[in-house]
Amino acid sequence: MYQQIGKHYHSTSQPRPIQMRLYGRSKSLDDEQDGSINVSPLIDVVFILLIFFIVSATFVSLPGVEVVRPDAQTADSLKRNSILFALSAEDKIFHGGEEVQLPEIPRLIELGSKDRNKPVVIQTDQWADATLLAKMIAEARKIAPSVSIATRKPR
Amino acid sequence: MKRRAHSLPSDQAEINVSPLIDMVFILLIFFIVATSFVNEVGITPKYKDSASPTTENKPPLTFRLSASGQILQNGSVIGIEEVAPIVRTSHSDSKASILVQVSPGSKAGLATEVMDQALLGGAKAIKLSPLLQ
Repeated sequence: MYQQIGKHYHSTSQPRPIQMRLYGRSKSLDDEQDGSINVSPLIDVVFILLIFFIVSATFVSLPGVEVVRPDAQTADSLKRNSILFALSAEDKIFHGGEEVQLPEIPRLIELGSKDRNKPVVIQTDQWADATLLAKMIAEARKIAPSVSIATRKPR
Repeated sequence: MKRRAHSLPSDQAEINVSPLIDMVFILLIFFIVATSFVNEVGITPKYKDSASPTTENKPPLTFRLSASGQILQNGSVIGIEEVAPIVRTSHSDSKASILVQVSPGSKAGLATEVMDQALLGGAKAIKLSPLLQ
């Protein structure tokens, strides 16, 4: 197959004299390889890239609602593979694209973290009710190692 | 057929790997596209529920948020910019255990800003607790 790819490539893009000069050193070599390109390093590189992306892929399920985040000066960048909850301005809790109820939060965190102790990030709307936010944090803290509140980027 | 006949004398069995490469490329592109890098910024008010006995007897520094959007500390109304200095001055003795009590109807944005200002003032642990009616 290497021979096939190489042959095709060379016959379309490379002029014949160069190919002869590169590969036509001995009669037997020319017969054996026939101007082929070794594609195994390419496959190696592609496999390494593939494995890198498989390993680094963290499928974060977004809450599915866009909120107006509050301002903060001490905002810090949060962990990337965290479990996201959102609290909308209408005081509704969202997780994974659908509305959930307050008592479901510990169960959802347990489902989402799969024994890896993922941190929880709550995206709250700045006009949401603060008591509900406090209750959400209290529920999430029952099971999560850390609970953060997403804010705007500090200017 | 011509190529087959050509390679047969050298007695090498060939496997066509181009479908493999195609498949690997498709997988690669899928994972590149599916990898979502969610970059959130935010605050993390750490709070340990098991308070140590030394801080138990001392009431924590408390900010109360009313439904009308006022911040009360020790019964007096303060502005958002006063939170950080209050935390900074009282920080040393009460060891920065801040309690933010929120009334029903107060806004999460204000509560977050108070917590942010308290963190700016050097608070170590902040608890957000809802006030019952």
